[in-house]
Amino acid sequence: MASIQKINRLLASEFMGCVEARQERAHLLLTGACADWREIVRAGYLAAKHNPLAGVVNKIEWTGGEIPKTRIPETRDNSLDGLAPDVMVIGGGVVGCAIARELTRKKLSVLLVDKEADVALHASSRNDGMIHPGLDIKKSSQKYHYNRLGNAMFEKICGELQVPFKRGGQYLCFPKKIPVPALYATKLYWAYMGIPSRVLGKKRLFQEEPGLRRDLGSALFFSTAGSVCPYGLTIAYAENAIQNGARFALQTAVLGMDVTDGTITAVRTNRGTLYPKVIVNAAGVFSGDIAAMADDQFFSIHPRRGTNSICDKKYSDAIARQHASTLFTGHSKGAHTKGGGVIRTVHGNLLLGPDAAESPEKENFATAQASIQTVLAKQVKTSDKLHQGRIITYFTGIRASTYEEDFVVCRGRYTKNIVHAAGIQSPGLTAAPALGVAVAQMAVAALFDITGIAPRENPKFNPVREAIPNTAEMPSDERAALIAKNPNFGVIVCRCEEISKGEIIAALQRPLPCASIDGVKRRVRAGMGRCQGGFCGPQVAKIIADEKGIPLEAVLKSGEGSELLFAPLKTRAEEGGGGDA
Amino acid sequence: MRENCRTFDVAVVGAGPAGLAAALAAERQGSRVLLIEREARLGGILKQCVHDGFGLVRFGEKLAGPEYAHRFLSRLSGTSIQIAALTFVSAIKKTDLFGLELVSAHGLETVLSKTIVLATGCRERTAQQVAIHGTRPAGVFTAGSAQYYTNILGKLPAKRCVILGSGDIGLIMARRLTLEGAKVLGVYEAKSVPSGLPRNLAQCLHDFDIPLYLSKTVTRCFGDARLTAVEIADVDENMRPIDGTQQILDCDTLVLSVGLIPENELAETLGVALDSATKGAVTDQDGHTSVDGVFACGNCVHVNDLVDYVSESGETAGAAAARYAVGTRKSIPVRTSDNLLYCVPQKISITKNNGEVVLYFRVKRELQNRRLTVRLEERTLLQKNYKQMRPPEMERIAVKLPETIGENETLYLQLEVNG
Repeated sequence: MASIQKINRLLASEFMGCVEARQERAHLLLTGACADWREIVRAGYLAAKHNPLAGVVNKIEWTGGEIPKTRIPETRDNSLDGLAPDVMVIGGGVVGCAIARELTRKKLSVLLVDKEADVALHASSRNDGMIHPGLDIKKSSQKYHYNRLGNAMFEKICGELQVPFKRGGQYLCFPKKIPVPALYATKLYWAYMGIPSRVLGKKRLFQEEPGLRRDLGSALFFSTAGSVCPYGLTIAYAENAIQNGARFALQTAVLGMDVTDGTITAVRTNRGTLYPKVIVNAAGVFSGDIAAMADDQFFSIHPRRGTNSICDKKYSDAIARQHASTLFTGHSKGAHTKGGGVIRTVHGNLLLGPDAAESPEKENFATAQASIQTVLAKQVKTSDKLHQGRIITYFTGIRASTYEEDFVVCRGRYTKNIVHAAGIQSPGLTAAPALGVAVAQMAVAALFDITGIAPRENPKFNPVREAIPNTAEMPSDERAALIAKNPNFGVIVCRCEEISKGEIIAALQRPLPCASIDGVKRRVRAGMGRCQGGFCGPQVAKIIADEKGIPLEAVLKSGEGSELLFAPLKTRAEEGGGGDA
Repeated sequence: MRENCRTFDVAVVGAGPAGLAAALAAERQGSRVLLIEREARLGGILKQCVHDGFGLVRFGEKLAGPEYAHRFLSRLSGTSIQIAALTFVSAIKKTDLFGLELVSAHGLETVLSKTIVLATGCRERTAQQVAIHGTRPAGVFTAGSAQYYTNILGKLPAKRCVILGSGDIGLIMARRLTLEGAKVLGVYEAKSVPSGLPRNLAQCLHDFDIPLYLSKTVTRCFGDARLTAVEIADVDENMRPIDGTQQILDCDTLVLSVGLIPENELAETLGVALDSATKGAVTDQDGHTSVDGVFACGNCVHVNDLVDYVSESGETAGAAAARYAVGTRKSIPVRTSDNLLYCVPQKISITKNNGEVVLYFRVKRELQNRRLTVRLEERTLLQKNYKQMRPPEMERIAVKLPETIGENETLYLQLEVNG
């Protein structure tokens, strides 16, 4: 094919003969070796840009170091051996959990597996929680399609799942030198994109947002932007799926698959071999690996790290609404990020970020001071009230990017019984409700093609998931009544976030249990405040031990091997003492 | 006002050493006092301080933390002080009286009080607040949490441990963990001088052969489930890590003693003015803050190194809250020379003649042979010579004020080379 020759000519001149492209089945395959990871990524983008085929698989070997092996749980048992669910969803992020929940609308056996000890431990807990209006995505993309559908679903889905959601809008701010009429001119484009927009002159902008930097001159306002707690939504989807009959197997890693004549016949895990009829690939940053196991790889994931910082709630005066970011000419050119911004989370903290950096590592969540400073330096252009002293914590997430910079949402190309929800990065959270519906439909269609049976509706499906009470946000009379019924709801354990013992115990008794300090933190926010669990950490550990009937030294921070404490002190044991000190 | 609300003269928030002293002092003046404590047991952080050394100034003997607390707790029973333990103050609203919204297992209650004494103490600075990066595994504890696990819950948080910060809690935990069988690899301090009291350096580190490394800090954590190692780096004079000096140290635990932050979130909601140097409320010699009827004492005003002075400030604030009468307040500012980090109080009330006032201050850096002059404009009130002054050691002086002080005068603390 002429254009593959062209790609090879380009690659030869750019990468000096160490990279080669050729057609493999219906996609483009890159091979070769290179010591610089960024060059490998650049080759992928270059190939995708000129690709006459559908999809780029980048198998250029990185010789510059060793990519750490995927972390696999140590647990080995046969608890799932021989299971043959109708649909097996791989990946407990927001998309996988949404798909599982939507599948339970039908009479199907649904099993979701995730290799971690809880759902939402990768990208779904490591993002900014923003519900995007869809500003900078191509109209022809899958991202655009699902973002638009998903965005409109948030009131309903968050209502059903009882997850806090705020639609506060987004400002895109401009420096004074950009004339306001130029912003009016862009309104045509926003109308074409189907995004409601409003132009704000300086006076109006500072009336609404007095915390913004004074040298800003105008802004575009997009009212459809919002904010949700991303892991809160994932957990809620998971709980509702379980309530409606789905089974969740955590600490379950897919190790391999048997594929015969374009059909996955068996899925091997650390908990035995399963025989699902249809597989859904919602494995995030690992979705390329899962596709490869299924002999259905026509895309590659290249991890892209990003770090966000969270400010103390008491310093949220920089932004009154949900989100603001400042656009300076050329500032985001060539960088594959929406540029981040200052986001007011649904819980009232300001969140800054993220930045973007290519990395060969798929689960290295380490942070670095440089990225905090880069993000801060950028966001002070939006509000100069921000500074390092206001930051209480930070975290790194890893995006599952494809070289096409688009979602891969489709039935398998070479393998019949797989459906992909892959390459999901921003605006994946916004798209998740729509992806849940669409991918569930695709899985049902695949099931029909294989078995010839269309599943019936699940008559017991209940879309409503009851949330854990949030006492601090309740009206007083309701809160008083709850405490009267269960006094634990009046015992405040986490002082920064005002979380009661009752809420913590409730978090331990949910449909998807996660009896760890971090599991409790993600469910009820104990430890999310300015002291970062310094005061409540030991109390939460004690509550977990008491509720679960386990010794304190068995309490985990997060997953396996994360015990907080060692055996009782030797002196106490010798004295035969202990107990209440 | 609502008639079914309990009403008090003084509501003390926090029953650590400052709050206990404040409540007792207010009650002695005949006030109706409510003492509110978030935890089930009174005494604050003293409960977990099983080491001795408390009370040397006040009682002339070395007490363990719980013993020191007991000196105050034992006096509570004979008083009219009402205690609300395991009770959380969710908000304070000011109308003609203060309305405190309390949450407890008994339900929600709004109590009214003429005055508030804030004795809310400190929280610890965390790993993220001192820019420690890398992964976020189990095994990274603030010193206070590690102390709680060890002394209250009776479990060992560490086997092979690095301590960052040579503040007193860090030093005490180095000894405590060693005594309990853990290996403490060293105490690392980013500053070029140790932060803790000399007696703790001697008794906690030297006596146990625990090395102290100055001008070094922890920059990174390793490990996914449990901490496996930390990265240590030398720092420059601005306490920035120097590239190329990094070394990796295998350990399962990092204990942080990297500073205390006065807890003033309630104070802020009341509009109390804070001092950027102390991070606590600006007060006068009575502990009276910028908001009429709101007093503050103890570590939420400034971080003390001796509990004895915490109790002293509690007594002062408690007694003053009991005497409080609505009226116009007049005060003069306290100014210090540049070599002092701060002085508490920051203001002197001249509405009534207080006679003697107690001033607490710290130097910015280590100094030798200095003379302190306290003067009211040109009138010298007191002079004192110091051989050795160190930032970790808070200085306390009592100054007799003249009978009349002009509204436009200023009280100066000037520290100069002696001789």
